Amino acid sequence: MTAHDWYVENRAAYVARSLEPGEERTFRDHLVRCDECAREVVRLERELGWLPMGVAPVAPAPGFARRMAGKVLDRPSRWRRRLPLAAAAAIAVVAAGTALSARDEGRDLRALLSARESQLAALEDTLSVLRQANMVLQTQISMDGYQGGLLIFQDAASHRWCVIVHGLPPAPLGSVYQFWFITETGMVRSVEVQADTQRPAFMTLPMPGVAAPVMGAALTMEPAINRSGEPKGVELAHVVF
Amino acid sequence: MPHPEPPPAGTPGPSSDRPVAWRALVLAGEASLRRRLVARDEQALVELIELASPWLLGITQSMLSDSDEAEEVVLEVFASAWERVGSLGVEHDALLPWLLRIARNRAIDRLRRRRRWRLKLARAEAYGALPPDRVRASEVDEAAHPGWHVHESVHAALESLPAEQREAVRLAYFQGLTHSEIARQLAIPMGTVKTRLRLAFDKLRVALVPIKDWVL
Repeated sequence: MTAHDWYVENRAAYVARSLEPGEERTFRDHLVRCDECAREVVRLERELGWLPMGVAPVAPAPGFARRMAGKVLDRPSRWRRRLPLAAAAAIAVVAAGTALSARDEGRDLRALLSARESQLAALEDTLSVLRQANMVLQTQISMDGYQGGLLIFQDAASHRWCVIVHGLPPAPLGSVYQFWFITETGMVRSVEVQADTQRPAFMTLPMPGVAAPVMGAALTMEPAINRSGEPKGVELAHVVF
Repeated sequence: MPHPEPPPAGTPGPSSDRPVAWRALVLAGEASLRRRLVARDEQALVELIELASPWLLGITQSMLSDSDEAEEVVLEVFASAWERVGSLGVEHDALLPWLLRIARNRAIDRLRRRRRWRLKLARAEAYGALPPDRVRASEVDEAAHPGWHVHESVHAALESLPAEQREAVRLAYFQGLTHSEIARQLAIPMGTVKTRLRLAFDKLRVALVPIKDWVL
């Protein structure tokens, strides 16, 4: 008995699906390579095609056909059903490709690891400002129907602030949100704030390099072209210790 | 391979004794239905469901012993057919055997996923040695169930098998059991199972030949 004889003898069993699961997979793989068996299996399927009608029919309930047709027509197409799976598969393939590439390029992996370590260190540093804050200031901001706020954590030990701006919409075209330190000798320009109602803007700022002590902070809406040291726009928030 | 035996005596040939004109009519009818399905004619889908669902529900309910799950499978079959009918070649099988094959394969997949053979078999035992006739032959005719004559022919072909071969076919084809599961169920060697099935399928292939050109 040759190896192929096994396939010849089990063609009907394959069509009947009485092979064991492993045998069924083996047979299916064989069909890809063997035209003769593939042809014979198709012929057997046709010859035994009516066999399920040995079971008596079951009369469906009234309206079954219309109801069933409605469900068929309401179903998303096969591709739409499979899109999430396809997307997941694509992501997996990309991830696998990335992983393989990284494995082959140890230098890139080390650089990535170093970058992640730096990010983690920055987060830990920011968290330390919040945990060590000796003063917390907050004020509400109302603007164009939006209710936002400004929150400042001051860490005297490290001379840094954590500043959180929340609840404000993105600045209109041609304008920017500008954060200022208020000192005994005047306003000191700090950073622009990228506001977004979806999530707060979060900044860790060093104290300005001026001799005069810091007394408070302000948030203004400035023309984007204003690069001077003095605020010229609308003041939205003003807090003083 | 054993040689096929001649068809059992008395097995009716559903289409061989029918007028050629009638056969041409149903062939044309199926071709038309298939064309309309390919053209996404929703009324054609309704007609296909009306014609095929009694038989699809019959096989799936018999295999799954669960009318709700059987209906789910039938829905999958029609959805699959609706998507794939355009890719069927003109030389492909008649529509109903194609649908029946999808239904049976889906039902077997579900049975194997369930991994609840003992419960399933306990239920199936109540159905007797062959899939049950829920409708008595005297109560139906071709008008009530198009394809009824095919059922009669197939049923007769199954009945003509020796009892031990019929039982093997019932467990393999209508209950989705594998060789080893049938051997355990019947407490016989696996080689005996394979032999019985091989002999049975050889006989059935010959007995079902006259049905091959029956179409919806």
